[in-house]
Order: sequence, then C-alpha cells, then structure tokens
Amino acid sequence: MITAHSLTKRYGAATAVDNLTFEVPPGVVTGFLGPNGSGKSTTMRMIMGLDYPDSGSALIGGKPYPELAWPLREVGGLLEAKAFHPARTARNHLRWLALTNDIPLRRVDEVLDQVGLTSVANRRAGKFSLGMGQRLGIAATILGDPGVLLFDEPVNGLDPEGIRWVRHFLRGLAAEGRTVFVSSHLISEMALTADRLVVIGRGRLIAETSVVDFISRSGGAAVRLVTPDVAEFSSALTAIGARVSYGDAGSLTVEGLAAPQIGDVAARDGLRVHELTPITASLEDAFMELTRDEVEYRPSTLAGAAVAGGKE
Amino acid sequence: MAYAIQNAPGGHYRTKHVVKSEVLKMLTVRSTAITVGLTVVAGLLVTGLVANASLHPASGSYLGFDPTQTSLIGLIVAGLTGGVFGALLITGEYSSGTIRATIAATPKRPLLLVAKIGVAAVAAVVFCELLSFVSFFLGQAILSGGGAPSANLGTPGALRAVVMTGVFIALMALMSFGFGLIVRNSAAAIASFAGVVFVLPLVMHGISEPDLRYVPTNILTNSIMSTVNQGPGGIVQPLSPSVGLLLMAIYAAASLAVGAVLFVRRDA
Repeated sequence: MITAHSLTKRYGAATAVDNLTFEVPPGVVTGFLGPNGSGKSTTMRMIMGLDYPDSGSALIGGKPYPELAWPLREVGGLLEAKAFHPARTARNHLRWLALTNDIPLRRVDEVLDQVGLTSVANRRAGKFSLGMGQRLGIAATILGDPGVLLFDEPVNGLDPEGIRWVRHFLRGLAAEGRTVFVSSHLISEMALTADRLVVIGRGRLIAETSVVDFISRSGGAAVRLVTPDVAEFSSALTAIGARVSYGDAGSLTVEGLAAPQIGDVAARDGLRVHELTPITASLEDAFMELTRDEVEYRPSTLAGAAVAGGKE
Repeated sequence: MAYAIQNAPGGHYRTKHVVKSEVLKMLTVRSTAITVGLTVVAGLLVTGLVANASLHPASGSYLGFDPTQTSLIGLIVAGLTGGVFGALLITGEYSSGTIRATIAATPKRPLLLVAKIGVAAVAAVVFCELLSFVSFFLGQAILSGGGAPSANLGTPGALRAVVMTGVFIALMALMSFGFGLIVRNSAAAIASFAGVVFVLPLVMHGISEPDLRYVPTNILTNSIMSTVNQGPGGIVQPLSPSVGLLLMAIYAAASLAVGAVLFVRRDA
C-alpha cells in the first residue's frame, strides 16, 4: 500500500506536484496517468525518497521510504530507462544491488531468467537495446521480491512484443497480491493494464477511480444510427427526450437513449434501420475531457480542435 | 501480503552491506582499471626517467641532491590520476543514473556516504602506498646502479617520505571525490580538481609573489617527498611534513564536508 498525503513539490515558482493525495492499494494494477510534465515522475521520486517534498508525505506501508529496514525487499522501483552503469555487466549490476540488502546472490540468476536475459547476463549493459535495458531495470525491481512496485513509463520505447510482456508481467505481480503502481502517458496502454487510475494534470489530482468508472463518468455514451429516414427518426427521437446530431450522409448520433430504445422506436413507427451502433467513450476521450484545462504544453491548433470536438 | 519481508533477515541494512556493494561497484567499472593502469605506467615511467637523468647532473655535483624525492617524483602523476579516479567514483554514478538506484537501495544517505568514502579511502591508500614503495625501490635501483647517491628505507626521513606520499595522494583523491559530490558531473569535477591543484598555482605565480607553500603539489614535492632541507638561504622554508600532510587532510575534509551536506540535502 502506498499513500500520498498532500504531497507538494515546487521548483522555484513552478509547482510540479500540488497537494496530491491518493492511495495505491495492493492486489490491483494502479495506473498513474497524466500528460507529459504533469508531475508523475516527481511524485514517484518522492515516494522512493529520492526527492524531498516541500510539504506533505508519501508512505509505504505506513513508513517513509528512508525508514524501510530492507528497502529492496519491500519496494522495487523502475524510475528511469537506463539506471545502470554502461560498463558493468547485467549480472554485476544486479549483484551490487543484491549486496546492499543482503539478498542471496542466487536471486540474481533467478530474476535474469525471469526477464529472459540469462544469455546476455555477462554482457556490458551499455550495449543493451532499450528493450533489454528495460528488462534489466525490471529484473532489478523484483530482485528483493518486494510487495510494492513502482514503474515509471515501463513500456516507453518497447516493441509490441515487449509491451505485451510488460503488461502480463505487471498484471501477474498484482495477481500475486502485490501493490503495483505504473505511470504512463499512454492512455490506451493503461486501459489494458490498469484496474484503477490515479489521474493528474499539472501536478493536481483530477481523478482517482476504477478504469470502468473513469470511462462511464466522463459521459458521452451515444448511439450511432444510419437510416434513410433521417427526418422522421430525428423528430421521433427528439420527442422522447433524446439529443440528436447529424453526421455524414444518413447518419445520426443519438445521446440520451440506448440502442434497444431506439430499436423500439423504429419498430413502433415503421422506420428503416441500416446500422445501430453503441459508441462508448474511449479512455482517451475521457482523459482528454478531464485534462483539457490541465495540459501545460499544447500546440494552439490542436487546442482549438480539441475544444471544437468537445462541443460537438 | 508480505513477500520477501517474511524471509528478510532481522534488523536492517548496515554499513557492511553497503561496503561490500561499493567494493564490487568499484571493481566492475572500466574507469578503475584505466586510472590504475595509467597511474602505474605513467608514474613509474616518470620516476625512471627522472632517476636516469639524475645520473648525469648538469652542475656536475650532487650538492643538495635528494635521492628519496627523486625516486618518488613520478607519483605527482598519481596525484592527477588519483584525482580523476576519486571524482569518477561518484560522478560516474550521476552520469549513468546509478546514483538513484544506489540511494533507493540504501536510502540512509549519511550511512551510504560513509561507506562510499571509506571504500574509496582504503582503496586509494592501499594502492598509493604500494605504488609509492615500488617507485622508491625502482628509483633507488636506477640511482645506485648508475653510481649516483642513493637511499634506502633506513636513510633518515626516507620511510617517512615514502609512507606519507601514499597517504597524501589518497587525500588528493578524496578531495576530488568531494568536488565530484558538489558538482555531480565528471567533466566539471575533473576540471575543478585539475584547476585547483595544477592551474591555480601557475595563475597565482603570475600575479604576485604568493606563498605557494600551501598549494597541494608544492606540499607534496617540497614537504612530503623531500628528506633534505631546501638549499640556499632567502628561499622560504617549506612546511614541515606533518603540517603539510595535516593541511592536505583539512583540504580533503573541507571538500568532503561540503559535498556530504549537499548530498544529504539535495534531491537525488
């Protein structure tokens, strides 16, 4: 369990993390979602005792990180893509880590095997591809078999196979009852990996919820209807309280009514239906909706498009 | 829901765990092998060349000749490479990002730093003492073989000079480690070390008539390596060996103290 309470971090005049309070429970994958520069990495560094908060606290199982008796046996963290010396071999990198926390050295070969790096264990880590480096970083997180794990953008730069592997790996850790906290700016990835979400923008908490709730809460559930009887449908549906907007050639977007109800109207009035498709808002839409005011750097044309799209 | 916590040994991580880890770290980066190799080769080469040149003194006499100092002179090279070694021990962690992994593994920063400095100090002293003795014996072999005046460890002041030279250079490496802690960048740390130790005296010399007795390289050659009082009157007497060594220890301690305070207080 990770608990952040009123966590705040300032760099000069800029507030990177602003009064952030949230919990990361064990047994599920909690996604930490936010645009680039929203304070995710800073928050994770504060949880791991690397950066000092200006106020507030971050606790692991009720304790500040620096007070953990055997940090690597309690928390595993992957905070940057290549946090190893390029001249050191993968095995030696894990060995020095193991020594710090009195972890048996046989664990080194176990975790190398687990992440599939056994064959390159004696190669200098500086020669590793981004994907191999990421696997080495992940091996380091599980070296002490910890109950709490943090990953900052673990799939950045990975190929599809690597991304799949990480996703299964994270879900496996959570299924074993561990606390798993994963940051990402990739919403689609979080939709597949996370059960819960902590969403931030400009260092502030925007939402702390389940993925399912997050999508439905942002509303926008609509049904796409394609029909030759556009005018008749439009008046019939508006009459019973639906909001209808016109799309391209013979298509309508209906909000406020579910597909079965629209089908019933069609049967009642003898109107023709060529297509009837429920549109659930994607996690991406929900995210854009919620963070619209919180994105720090955005090209102006994109900003205009997003606002226009939102009003549609 | 605890995992390894159940299997964890009692108590908590201690200095000995960090020491073991730091020793492994030091032995598994190339900069260690490179600086050590360079120091041995260049240091002994300089000693050999200087000793060989002393076989035919320009003045034709050995008045004021100090065979002990002559045989240790190559260790000035070790002063420079030792500085590079000391700086890279800590800045290499910053440039690679390893420092975050190190602090995450052992977040009690004062304990971590004590272990790190301790390992660096012991390694530097042991290596520099070995090199100092080897350089001494090499120099004396060349001098005596060529018929020049030579010394042995029983010669007054010789053993003191050999032992102190090793300690002095280890202190220079530690001062550089402190610079590394302060600037957290390899190039900047090495540049400030070389600047303070080798360039600053030259600049000072050009400005006025400064008291250069307090400059590390001058202490090293004139107070630490030397076993005979410097020549004709009018020249300022160098610091005594013990005062010189103490002063270098103060330089190193000051650099490490500033670095340690910053290391504990700053974000990693």
